This record gives sequence, C-alpha cells and structure tokens, in this order.
Amino acid sequence: MTLVEISGMERHYVMTSETVKALDGIDITIDKGERIILLGPSGSGKTTLLNCVAALDNPTAGEFSFEGEEVPRVHAEKMTSFRRENIGYVFQFFNLLQDLTVLENILLIQELSGGRDTSRALELLSLVGLEDEIDRFPAEISGGQQQRVAIARSLAKSPKLLLGDELTGNLDSATSTKVMEVLVKACEAEDITVIMVTHDESLTKYATRVIRLDSGKIISDEKVNN
Amino acid sequence: MSMLLTKRLARSLWRTKLRLSAVILMVAIGVFAGISFGAYANAATNLYEEIYDGEDGINLPDIWVKNSIGTWNESDSENLCQSISDEWPQSDYSLNKCEARLILNGLMYHTNSDGEEKLISGVWHGIDEGDVDKVWMPTESELSSGRLAESETEIVFDSHAALAMDIELDDTVVLGAGQGKKHYTVVGIGFHSQHLYFAQEGSLMPAEGGTLATGYLTDSGLERLANLESGSSNRLLIDIKGKPAYDLQSTDENEGLELSSVMAEIVTIVNSHSDSPASTHDRSGVESVEFLRVDAEGASKMFPYVTGMLAIVAGITIFLSLQRLIQSQAKEIAVLRTLGIPKKSIMPGYILAPVFIGLIGVIIGTILGIYIGAPAMFTMYSDLIGLPVTISVSSNLIIQIALIALIIVMLSGLRPAWQASRMQPLEVFRGQHEVKLSSRGLQQITAKLPATVGLSIRSSLRKPMRLAFTFFAVGLSMLIFGSMFFMMGTMEEVMMGGIKENQNWDVMTYVYPGGEDAVIEWAENNNVEHETMLTFPIPLQNDTRELMGYGLEEMSTVDDGEAMMVLQLKEGELPLKGTTPLQILIDEGTSKFLERNVGDELIVMVGATPVEVEITGITKGEVTRTIYFHRSDLSDLIGIEATTVLLQFSDDVSIEGLAEVTVGLVVKEDMIHSFESLLEKQQSMYIAIEGLGIIIAISVLFNTLLMNLSERDTELATLRVLGAPMNKLGTMMFWEHLAIGIVGGVLGALFAYFGTVAMINGMVTWAFFMTVEPQIISILSLVGIVIAISIALTPIGMWRIKKMDLVEKVKDLSQ
Repeated sequence: MTLVEISGMERHYVMTSETVKALDGIDITIDKGERIILLGPSGSGKTTLLNCVAALDNPTAGEFSFEGEEVPRVHAEKMTSFRRENIGYVFQFFNLLQDLTVLENILLIQELSGGRDTSRALELLSLVGLEDEIDRFPAEISGGQQQRVAIARSLAKSPKLLLGDELTGNLDSATSTKVMEVLVKACEAEDITVIMVTHDESLTKYATRVIRLDSGKIISDEKVNN
Repeated sequence: MSMLLTKRLARSLWRTKLRLSAVILMVAIGVFAGISFGAYANAATNLYEEIYDGEDGINLPDIWVKNSIGTWNESDSENLCQSISDEWPQSDYSLNKCEARLILNGLMYHTNSDGEEKLISGVWHGIDEGDVDKVWMPTESELSSGRLAESETEIVFDSHAALAMDIELDDTVVLGAGQGKKHYTVVGIGFHSQHLYFAQEGSLMPAEGGTLATGYLTDSGLERLANLESGSSNRLLIDIKGKPAYDLQSTDENEGLELSSVMAEIVTIVNSHSDSPASTHDRSGVESVEFLRVDAEGASKMFPYVTGMLAIVAGITIFLSLQRLIQSQAKEIAVLRTLGIPKKSIMPGYILAPVFIGLIGVIIGTILGIYIGAPAMFTMYSDLIGLPVTISVSSNLIIQIALIALIIVMLSGLRPAWQASRMQPLEVFRGQHEVKLSSRGLQQITAKLPATVGLSIRSSLRKPMRLAFTFFAVGLSMLIFGSMFFMMGTMEEVMMGGIKENQNWDVMTYVYPGGEDAVIEWAENNNVEHETMLTFPIPLQNDTRELMGYGLEEMSTVDDGEAMMVLQLKEGELPLKGTTPLQILIDEGTSKFLERNVGDELIVMVGATPVEVEITGITKGEVTRTIYFHRSDLSDLIGIEATTVLLQFSDDVSIEGLAEVTVGLVVKEDMIHSFESLLEKQQSMYIAIEGLGIIIAISVLFNTLLMNLSERDTELATLRVLGAPMNKLGTMMFWEHLAIGIVGGVLGALFAYFGTVAMINGMVTWAFFMTVEPQIISILSLVGIVIAISIALTPIGMWRIKKMDLVEKVKDLSQ
C-alpha cells in the first residue's frame, strides 16, 4: 500500500550568481512498512529530500502526496499540522530538552500534539530499553541512550512515517548498532515506515530499500532483503 | 591581532543594534538626569548661600523671638533687647544686633481682570531699622525692582505675588488687617526670607498664584494698617556675630548645641521681662529657610544616586548582553584559543566594548543634559520657587557624572571578559559549556505539572543569575517609575486628603486675641455655624524644636466627625478635658522624631513655664509637627480664648462683611482649587519621570526575555519540527511570561514602595513630614504594568517562531 508518492520533485536555491538544483526531478513511491536509507555524498540532495518529505521545505516543482492526499506547501501551520499527524523526526544531535527528564521529553510532545498519555510514554521507553532511566535528565545519560529517547519521542504520537537525519552520525559504531536495532524493533512493532539519511554504508543492513542520490538525482534505487 | 578581535566584537555588537541602542539610551538617560539634577542642586545651593550668607544677602537672623499672642510696645521691645544684651549668656557667641519687627496676618482686596474683588490671605511685615532680615532685591534680576518703603503709605510687594497678580511699581494695593481697608503704593518688588519659598504657613506646596500676598511696609505703615500704637512689635530678630552653627532638623544630632543653649537662656530672659509668653527658634524654625536648605542638600545628595542607579541598570543590561554574546561566540572563541590566541588578547575587547558604549551614552547624555535637561530644570525651579536662578553647568559636574557612569558601565564588562578568556576549547567543542543540569529539586516540585508548564518554569529559572539581575534592574527601573507613582498618591493624600474629605469648615478666619467675638457675632447674624480654635507655638523643654499647638473646641475623628476640624486618629484615644496632667494628641511625625508613643508623657513649654502633658493618641496626615489640646485647656495655659474662628456655611450665605472683622481668612474651596491646580502642574513632571522609568523597565525586561527566547531557538525549532502547533507554543510562552511578569512585578512594586519610603524618609524633617501609604490600587497597577510588558513579549516570541526558517534550523540541529 502506497504511503508516499513523489514525482518530478525539484528544489532550486537561487544564489547570487547561479541557481543550485538541490533536487532535480525526483520520482519515488514508498510503500507502508518500508525502511529506506538515503545515501549519497555531501550536497547530493538527500537532506533536502528529507526536508521536503517532512514538509519543512517547499519543493520548487513536482508532485508530492501522502496516503493519496497532496501534502500542504507554503502554509506553515498546515505543514506543521501535517508533520504532527504523520511524521516522526530524529535528529543527529538528539535535540532533547535539557530541562525535562527522559519521560517528560516524551510527555511534552504528547501534550503539544493532543493529549498526555503516560502509560504510552512508558511503553515506548520500555520498547527502546530505557524504562529504568525515566527520571534522569538527558545530560545524565549517554549519547546512545539520548538517541533512543529521541526515537521514543518521535514515536510518541504514533507517526506513519519516521524520518532520521544522520541519526547515528554522532555515535560510535557499537552504540549506532544498538540504536539502529532499537529503531528497527520499534518501527516494526509500531508498523512505521522509515526514511533515514546517512553517510554510513554499514547501516544499509537495517534497510529494506536503499536509494542513492547524486547532484539532486536518484542514481540507484534498490530493494534489499533485511 | 587584538585589534582585529575587537573589530570582530564590534561587528557582532552591531548586529544587535536595537539592544545596543537601548543600552546607550539608558546610559544617556542616566547622564542626562545626573546633569539636570546636579545643575539644579548646584543652583539651589548657590542661591541659598547667596541669599542668606552672601555679601549682598539679607543678613538672616540667627535667633527669632516670637510673641505669639500679642504685641510689645516700643519700650517693651527696647527693654527686651537691652535685657538680652545685658544678660547675654556666657558663650563663645556674642550679640551683634537685636531688632524689633512687626509681622501680621491680613488680607489683600484684589480686583481681578474681570472686575471682581477677591480676598487674598496676606502676611504683612513692618520693618523699622531693617539691618537684619532685609528685603532681598537683587539688582541684576528682572524679578525685583524699585526701592524699599520709606513712608507709611508705601509697600514693597513680594515678587511672587506681584507676578501672579500683575502688580507693578506705582500700582495701588488695598490691604487689611482687621481694621478696615487701607491703600498703599507699590514702590518696590522684592523677596523676603520668610517667603522665599512662597507657601502658606505649614504648607508643603507653593501657593498658587493669586492665593497668597506678602508685603514689606515701614513699621509705621503696618501700625497704620492694624491700628496699633507706634513702635509695636511681635518679633525680636537677633543677629549673632559670625556664622553660628544651628541644629539641622534633617539630622539626628544637634549641630547647634551652643546656639541652643543661648536660645534657651534668651527665652528665659524674655519671659522674665514680658507678660506675653514668648518662644524662640533658630534658622531651622523658618520653613522657607529650612525648605531651601533641605532642597539644596537633598538635590546634591540625590543626583549621584540617580545617575548611579540608571548606570547600574544600563550596566546590568550590558553585562547580560555580553554574557549572551560570549555564549553565542563560544565556538569562535574556542577556535581562537585552539589556534593559540592568548587570554589577554581575548579580554580587552569585552572590556572596551562597554566603555565605548558608555562613552557614546555619556556624550549624548551630556549634550542633552546641558541643552535640554538643565535649562528645563531651571525653568521648573524658577516656576516653582519663583526665584532668580542662573543657568550654569560646571565642568566638574560633567566630569563627576561621566566618571560615575563610565566606571559602573566598565565594571559590567569585567566578568564577561573574564569568562570569555577562561573558556576551555575542548569543553566548548563538546558542547559541555552549554549543558547545565536542571535543578533536581525544581524538577520534583514541578513533576506533577503538565510537561509544558514544567518546561516553562524550568526554562525561566534556567539562568537564575540572569533572572535575578533582570529583576534587580527592573526593580530599579520600577523604583524610578513607582516612586513617582507613590509620590503622586502621597502628595495628593497629604495635600487634599486631609482638607477635602475630612474637614467640615468652609472658611477659616484669623483674629487677634478677643477679636473672635466680632466674628461669632457676624456668624450668628448670618446663621453660620461657628467653632473657635486656638493656635499657639509650643516649644519643647530643653529643645530648639517647636510644635504648632492647636486648641480644638470639639475633638472628633474622621469616622465620627461632627467637629469642624476632624482628626485622623492613627492610634490611641481622644484626650479628655481638664485632666492632670493635660491629655493631648501628637501627630505621627512628632511621635517619630521625639520617639514618644501613646501613654508617654512630654514636657512642653508655655512661655517660660514647663507643662507636663500625657499623650493619649497619635494622629496622621499633618505635614508640620502638631500637638492637639482641648481649646479650654490650652486657653487656661496661655490666657487667650481664640486665634481662629472656623465657619460652616449653608449654600446661600456670602462672606460679605466678614473681611472687616477678621485679620485674615482662608476659603476652603479656594484652597482646594489651588492645591488641585498645583497637583496638576506637579503631575506633568511626575508623569515625565514615570515615562522615563517605564521605558527603562521595558528595555531591561525586553532585553532579557528576548535573550531567553533566542537561547531557546533550538528548543522551539525542535518542537516545531516535531509538529508542535503555534497556539500551544504561544500558550506555553504566555504562561512563562506571565510568571516572570508576576515575580518581576511584585519585586518591582516592593522596590518602588521601599524605595519611596526610603526617599521620603530622607526628605522628611521636623518641619516637613509625610509617610507613604501603600495603596492597593497603586501596587496592583505597578505589578500589572510589569506583567503587561512581560506578556507583550509573547506575540514577539510567536512572531520569531513564525519567522524561523525551519530548514536552516534543521541544518543547525543536524550539524
């Protein structure tokens, strides 16, 4: 079942002397349950594509629908609302709120998105293996643990699509492995589709599909058996 | 290298132009206010010295001997002066001159431009030799002209009154002193020490134009007006060689011990040779003198504080802004340190920046102070005091103010500079310099609250030092604003409260001893309610200070006020008649200065006789120091029945004919109108100062809250990326700003209240006393204003979030 359908997506940046085509005619169809990894060198357009899919950025041209509905553009609140209802996002540097405990970081997103559900927050923390750390502040736990909290937070409002931008980029390989295992486990349990941007080829083992980009174009798109 | 670093810092600061301008403005305002107040203080001090102690001054007496219930004839006064000379106490001081003087209350019959005749309260001086306490007629001033009165139909009219009533040389004025109308020709316009500060006796505020007239006649001229025999007098002016120190009533210690003992002996000498009880006082007992001295002294003390206070507010803002700047430049500083730039190259820029900012503020403030502030203060001073003052801003004053401002502002850069130089590159690169554990205690306190509320509270308290400094600076700003706010309320209460609401008389008439019968007869013929009252100065035993004694026919309080003169009883009970010792009330100022309370006893002097009295209650609302007796009790002591008759009119009665049977009269309606008009004038100045305070409070609060918001960009961007709707973030910010506003407002109101109390405590003297009554509406208004400023940041915060480029922010978040 198709979740995301992108056709002819372009994103141009007008600079002083030239126009940079960050995305140059992207066509992708993503089915529910896929785990996609976007690979490519710096400046290949993978983060721009992620931002457009997250409705953080407005494509210059092309079509983009989500569950058959056109994704809103330009109107900031409608874009935010789309993200709130459909998208989970995990950052490279975790971006947890330092003044809130692990549990409160999840409860905050629930409160801002509709309703507080402590049992669901605890369930998610248990899913990422952090049930014993709920009252700690982010600065009191390791980077890997912080990223697992960020994953739990991104799942808190049961998104249909989880986006990750270099989510292991700030972690060592052992911790990266642990975080990715948690992510896969959590997304399978929650039936969530995943798109991740990374430079790390070794992460392809966690994907069901690997898309390579270069100069704003898709240069390969292959399904993998993981 | 350090020059490049400084240039880089300057560019960074330039990016915060709005904040930079606000800080420069604050320094400029501080310097502007300092120069304006300083120039005013210097002018007041110079004027005071020129008039009282200068070569061409008035030769102010050192001791006044006052006969409050009657007059001495020529031989009496000559004998008294001779006795004083013969029996001069053993002292380092020696007598220079003893001069008799006649001063009477009276009336002026003034026909205004509409042709209506108005009765105006007057004080007339009969001057014989005129070597002491001369009429001051500065030749170089446009405010005085003509010559002294020489014949019994001539008068020197007071400049204040002449200006207000358009009276010029050669005009004829019609005066009275209970013995019919008399005409006088104005031959001079000048000033007198008793009326330099042109106010009704006992009033804190200058009299409105056309409500008070004073004039300086020859002794025979005044005798003619009051139908008194030649040589009559009721004052002895004693001039001592040199400049004896006297007891300043604004201080606790007695600076004039020697003079006090001379005065005590003089009063004994006079009372032993005279039937009328006499009292004495030194310069501090002359309200006009004391007011000018306290004003000059107060202004001199105040202006460095005003500048310092505003410079501190600016310094705090610079300090907080630099700290924020250092935080945002941490990575750059870390890179420079990694590349081997020494600490001493990092520091100078952060020290120089505030000095440079301060210097710009000082220059702007100085220009504004010299060309706008000081002239405006002189105009205000001239308008209010009505005295000739010269505009001059000394270079010493400018240097003093500039140094205060620059030193305080420079200090504000020291800690940020030190912090910048101490940054550890590795910690910065790891982001550890930003990580600050939230308080576990605070987390536990807020754990049960929704996470949004918990986050708001914890974010607000994340930088407690910054918040504390901000509240301190807001408090100082609110001190400027709120003190004016409280002062306005206090002044209104002092001037209007006691008269408008509490007093039941319509006209107060002054009479000579025995003259009350004529007024009572007039009242009865016109069906006017009347009540006699006795006023008499009551000195304290072994003390130079004097109380104004009131003998009231009936005593009642505002709550059950039947009497014409009702009292605001603060504590205790109303006294009973005819007790031993006599029961009396004192005002709270007297209670404070003498440290006497209900139940205590006090020895006062009636003439040369010490009289023991018992305090049964303390009243409030009096500006001057007051003691209340039952009229019959006071009358028994001093031997006269009344000096005043209070009248209560029904609507259709006119005061026609009343002037002919009184020495002087005050119409309550006119007095209220006069006070209202003065309050209105004063309020424009208060409102201007209030505006200044509020601008500073807004700048300080905005600065910190904007820094708080900008520090939370990452946090807010994260929440936006995760789908947080604008209205929820707005609500979160609203509660946060509300909380900060409430705390800041309460602290601001406390600062303002206690600051005003301290300011008024610094201002009050034996002669002028008032208290600040905390009015709930004033306090709520102050708190409300700070809350409003704080909440006003919410839409700005929301606008910031709306304008936030999430794509750029996501890049930042990911890199």
